[in-house]
Amino acid sequence: MKAQQQIPRNALVWIILSMFTLVLPHIERIPPWVLAVYCFAALWRTLVYRGRWSFPRWPVKLGLILAGFAGIMLSFSSLVGLESTVALLLTAFALKLLESAKRKDAYVLLFLGYFVIMTEFLFSQDLLIVLLCLLNVVIITTGLVALHRPGDNRFSMRPLKQATFMVAQSVPLMLVLFFLFPRFGPLWTVPIKSQQAKTGMSEFMSPGDVSRLSRSGAVAFRVEFDGDIPPRSQLYWRGLVMSRLQQGTWSALNFYEAPASERRQTEPDTVGDPLRYSVILEPTQQRWLYSLRYARSADSGIMSSSDYRLFRPIVIEDDYMYQVRSWPQARLEENLSDWRRKTELALPGSDNPRARALAAEFAAEAANPAQVVDRVLQMYTREPFVYTLQPTLLPERDAMDAFLFDTRRGFCEHYASSFVVLMRAAGIPARVVAGYQGGEVNPVNRTVIVHQFDAHAWAEVWLEGEGWVRVDPTAAVSPERIELGLEDAMSEEGSFLADSPLSLLRYRNINIINMMRLRYDALTYRWQAWVVGFDSDTQFDLLHEFFGEFTARKFAAVLLGSGALVLAPLGLVLLFRRRIHALSKLDKLYLNFCQRLGKMGVEREPGEAPDAFASRAQKSLPRLANNIADVTRRYNALAYAPSDSTEVDLSEFAQTVRSVS
Amino acid sequence: MGAAAGSGTVGRGRAYLRKRFQKFVTNRIPASRVVTLNQRRIFIFPNRVGLFFGICLMVMLLAAINFQNNLSYGLTFLLATLFIVTVLHTYSNLSGLTLRAVHAKPAFPGQQTEFELQLECSRQKEHVGIYLKWPGSNASTINLVDVTQLRVQLHAPVGKARGWYSPGRLLIESSYPLGLLRCWSWVDMDLKALVYPRPVPSGDLPGLAAEHPDGASVPIEGSDDFYGFRDYREGDSLRQIYWKGLARGQSVQVKQYAAYADRSVWLDWELFAGIGTEQRLSHLCYWALEFDKAGDEYGLRLPAVSIAPDCGERHKEQVLRALALHGIEDSGQ
Repeated sequence: MKAQQQIPRNALVWIILSMFTLVLPHIERIPPWVLAVYCFAALWRTLVYRGRWSFPRWPVKLGLILAGFAGIMLSFSSLVGLESTVALLLTAFALKLLESAKRKDAYVLLFLGYFVIMTEFLFSQDLLIVLLCLLNVVIITTGLVALHRPGDNRFSMRPLKQATFMVAQSVPLMLVLFFLFPRFGPLWTVPIKSQQAKTGMSEFMSPGDVSRLSRSGAVAFRVEFDGDIPPRSQLYWRGLVMSRLQQGTWSALNFYEAPASERRQTEPDTVGDPLRYSVILEPTQQRWLYSLRYARSADSGIMSSSDYRLFRPIVIEDDYMYQVRSWPQARLEENLSDWRRKTELALPGSDNPRARALAAEFAAEAANPAQVVDRVLQMYTREPFVYTLQPTLLPERDAMDAFLFDTRRGFCEHYASSFVVLMRAAGIPARVVAGYQGGEVNPVNRTVIVHQFDAHAWAEVWLEGEGWVRVDPTAAVSPERIELGLEDAMSEEGSFLADSPLSLLRYRNINIINMMRLRYDALTYRWQAWVVGFDSDTQFDLLHEFFGEFTARKFAAVLLGSGALVLAPLGLVLLFRRRIHALSKLDKLYLNFCQRLGKMGVEREPGEAPDAFASRAQKSLPRLANNIADVTRRYNALAYAPSDSTEVDLSEFAQTVRSVS
Repeated sequence: MGAAAGSGTVGRGRAYLRKRFQKFVTNRIPASRVVTLNQRRIFIFPNRVGLFFGICLMVMLLAAINFQNNLSYGLTFLLATLFIVTVLHTYSNLSGLTLRAVHAKPAFPGQQTEFELQLECSRQKEHVGIYLKWPGSNASTINLVDVTQLRVQLHAPVGKARGWYSPGRLLIESSYPLGLLRCWSWVDMDLKALVYPRPVPSGDLPGLAAEHPDGASVPIEGSDDFYGFRDYREGDSLRQIYWKGLARGQSVQVKQYAAYADRSVWLDWELFAGIGTEQRLSHLCYWALEFDKAGDEYGLRLPAVSIAPDCGERHKEQVLRALALHGIEDSGQ
């Protein structure tokens, strides 16, 4: 009983191995000291296994536990929250290893390992991470298998084989459960990833914000169009509508900041066929969604604001997929309410006096607002304005004056911001729109990949009879940016992705690397669409497609039926495996002879030599004494013959065996 | 009062259940010297670890639901399916295993006996972490890996009574590969150990002195009556082997005590007339052992059996067996 409760050495090796592969995907979000604890625990445990050190006594254990808690409190300043929970789990894993002497400790350790794998999914659902986690499942299962092979005192790969086999066998039924298991809403609120950095656009925009974002080659979202992809210059992905200017910073109006009567959007007339597309958004830790104008979504949990953008009441912490229809030609808000007009004209304070004066001049000279817009755009084209990722730093006060009249070097947010300031000063309702422009069409699966460097800011002006019209002052300065993308617009400057020398996007000109990147991206899209974005709506559609109307009875039948289908072959393979040592023909014949004698009451004992058996049998069955002697003699001769027995010998032997009756 | 009555009822109920279960097992797995484990004989059920694992899975499912995380769902389902697949693997680890009763060593009452089993794997697979135990015996955990058969010895104390001792049903258990399920069987290997009578010294050997005057004083080894050596023959007592010579590299030789050659003693049932059967057998057993120790020749005469005087291990076993089975049907091996 004692020996059975010990951890075989091989199992210990696998457990220590698993502890390091487990920490691998978490490495970027845990404090470095946790890794130190890991190495320390592994070393100590190895020394115990070598017999050099002994297990820690209870005061030491208590001290280590308290130190662990204190360390996490210091690093995260809280024990609640996902990152600190993960760090706590990992520390507990390392410390538990230190006191694992018995099998029951190992169970706790390994099951804890499964939990650690799960926590990784709350942070990343990337395909490669998932493959790593699958490997971790196999390694932990290997630990469990090794734990039940007593006497394995050397490192051995055998348990790995068994574990891989078992995990592979589990996959089919797992898929059945995955697609059939009903998806509920959350049962209670759970800690959110408080420490996770918000990515992409921020709620506020001041000069320099978008250009900073443009240094990243990360994917913002992927879009799959149902039908043709509109031309690149039409792909203005609206995310935020910024109507408020405060101290040189633009910000969006909150849903509740608008008076109750202004919260509902005036629905425009939609004519013609809409663009249909689905978007898979990478986690942003924000609430708003990106879409082409004028967008509507029938998905549950998506709301529309009065400035015609889509948002979600819940922060987007995981990849999020949504379906959108857009009518690009629809006229937005043909009648402007008083509150809206006042908001979109507000230009508080009295800064930027030169810009205001210029706007007043334009307004006085123009016959209608549209002409003012044209004058300003012409100004951007004629004057020596430069579109650059490295704009000159602007002063805090009268920043727009400095930009429009002195530096004239800026990125899209400079142009959008200065344009809207001029419009408002000229008495034309205008606002800044922030989002992304363009995207890369992946030829592999015809999705549009929108990267962070596609971040863009433009303007919308309200014109009588036309509603809100999109105006992009950047297009006036740098048409390449809109037609071809940032990389081409910056080709002279060479500043594209200057901060990420390793990004695969920098090597787009090398065909093979680019093709690999696009293929992997297509795979990621498929993965996100089918696995990560699988929800109750998708599930309902899928089941409906396969089984028609889905009743509870049908559900049970499908679940049981597919389960049985998946498990039956496995059971057959396991339980009716072929005999190994296929007996030689000679041995089969001899066993036949033993059976014949057995029927006559003389059973051959296990391990009884043929001669011994023969002499015993001869005594009991004197009638057959000669036959028995003959068979035994022939068997011995054939079995121990120097060369292999021939067919003739065997058939003779078969005859002698048959004569025994 | 009530409590006592209650516990009595419970005790009776439990005894009844135990009896029913024994009957069920007896019917299902009859005694046999060769047993191949199959679905008739194998029981399987999640053990504590499996239960713990189940609880862990529930927690993981709750987390998946609350975080609305599809990959957590996936992991939970993968592990749940792993649990199901493990049922087949655990069962498969025990199924197809053949157990053969090899032998059981005779022993004196209260002593340990050795039961030997042979385990054979009949199919192309390994049997890992097989735990074997008879009630009261020590346990053994074995692996049938890279070998097709293996012999296992288990030691258990025999009962107080002479005759055949049956150790009961053998427990074969395994939780390989993941330890989440206990897979077991209770088999009756039809293996019995012979228990000799308890040797009880008697003051002297009554009646012996009259027939053979010099036989009464029990000779001690190494007396002057040493005669010479002869080559070892099967059945010679180990005590008489000339170990020193063997150590020098000579052939196996046996010391002969010529003086005893003609002092053959008959241990007769009637020597101890007037006392109980068990007592008589105990005394006879004692004297048989004494004569054997001295290397003396002795015979045994029981009402049903008569064994001519001889000496050596085989003779001793024959005599003791006759004593052990006096009045008992020889249904053993």
